Amino acid sequence: MRTLHDQGKSSTATRRGNVTGSRLCRLLIPFLAALLAALSLDVASSSMASDPAASFLDYYRRPPVDTVMPGSVEARRIALGQMLFFERRLSHSQQMSCASCHNPALAWQDGRRTGLGDRGNRLSRRTPTLLNIGWSEPLFWDGRADTLELQAPGPLLNPDEMGLRADRLVPTVSRNAAYRRAFGEAFPGKPIALETVAAALAAYQRTIVSAPSPFDRWVEGDPGAISAAARRGFVLFNTTAKCAACHMGWRFTDDGFHDIGLPGADRGRAAIVPGIAPLEKAFKTPTLRSIAYRAPYMHDGSIATLEQVLDHYDHGFIARPSLSDQIGPLHLSARDKHDLIAFMKSLSSPSRSGAPAVLSPSKGQ
Amino acid sequence: MRKMFFLGACCVPFTTGLALAATGLTVDQRGLSFSVPALTIQHGGIVTFTNSDITSHNIVVTGEGVRLNSGLQTPGVPFHAPFSKAGTYQVSCAIHPRMKMTVTVK
Repeated sequence: MRTLHDQGKSSTATRRGNVTGSRLCRLLIPFLAALLAALSLDVASSSMASDPAASFLDYYRRPPVDTVMPGSVEARRIALGQMLFFERRLSHSQQMSCASCHNPALAWQDGRRTGLGDRGNRLSRRTPTLLNIGWSEPLFWDGRADTLELQAPGPLLNPDEMGLRADRLVPTVSRNAAYRRAFGEAFPGKPIALETVAAALAAYQRTIVSAPSPFDRWVEGDPGAISAAARRGFVLFNTTAKCAACHMGWRFTDDGFHDIGLPGADRGRAAIVPGIAPLEKAFKTPTLRSIAYRAPYMHDGSIATLEQVLDHYDHGFIARPSLSDQIGPLHLSARDKHDLIAFMKSLSSPSRSGAPAVLSPSKGQ
Repeated sequence: MRKMFFLGACCVPFTTGLALAATGLTVDQRGLSFSVPALTIQHGGIVTFTNSDITSHNIVVTGEGVRLNSGLQTPGVPFHAPFSKAGTYQVSCAIHPRMKMTVTVK
């Protein structure tokens, strides 16, 4: 059994079920009304009764993840998906894989302001992380894919991204005996096709789960897991700074779309769902898991540091009709910002080691 | 401020809160979820969507050739959706697209 998370180590296979995702999220994602109401609850019985942060903790508790039995069809699909994820032959140049942009050593991003395509061309948006992606549908910054299965073909076949010609996909995979065997085991009775490639990639990506962070240990009862500054930052995050209006729940995202007042002509979600005023220049709320390792920030990679991110939300946004009504001047002090950043850094696992190399079967095997 | 939108050819010129209470059904939005996944009503019925979250929503109703857009629905503000034509309607939040439910009109 394997564990695949932001460290890429392997011990217990985990995945996120597609079908149950929204139901679990409804159960687990807090909404701010409940959060704020919780402030008034009597927490005298809690060991952390004197800590205002205690009221919020349950809303950020990590859920259990499914396990995959070794040798099962699902495990075979995951293994196949992992090979395909690191397969450079699935690009026009045969030099680019999914992992070229979604690098496990870089929190499943690439560290660039915006992504690079197969021809070395600059893309218009930043590469999103794949951490906890199995819970994160719809996908892409503009949410144009409802499921991971529908998302996977996009970058593969997009001429600006991996640029694989659609008519080259099946021949590229089918000529390889190891792939033929792996597909046969993962999808018995089904042909090698775009649909099965996408299903395998989706199965693998659902195993990419963020590793427990100091914040998680604190939520689970270790009072010394995070600093006093981080604890203060957590309270600010849920109150004055209003971050949790969108960055809610254990993944720190509402999977929603908001205009946060950045410059640029990109219409974001409005180009996919026209006619809805709040969706103009709106982009999907990214998770904050491992945020310290994921600079630069925002959908366009235009902000280099967490300090500058806070400055943006504090006073740097562009006021316009589509601006999220959650955004307004915050008047954060220097100490507030320090504490908020201390908290956000507690969401990152200390390990950044990448996934072990996966050698996909070579031609002719 | 209460927003009224109309579906189909049969429009109700104005509906008071009292009338809604007598003839309509209420669906709450709380925790980024509708309070029920599906609802069946008689044609001519009105569904009131309340917002108990502290974040805004934007209800979109589609089906039977019509599309209804609530616009930004701030917390605490109800949205009244009349359903005048029989059929099946998909209801979602444009801001939080994981929020989905179905209204069946008999």
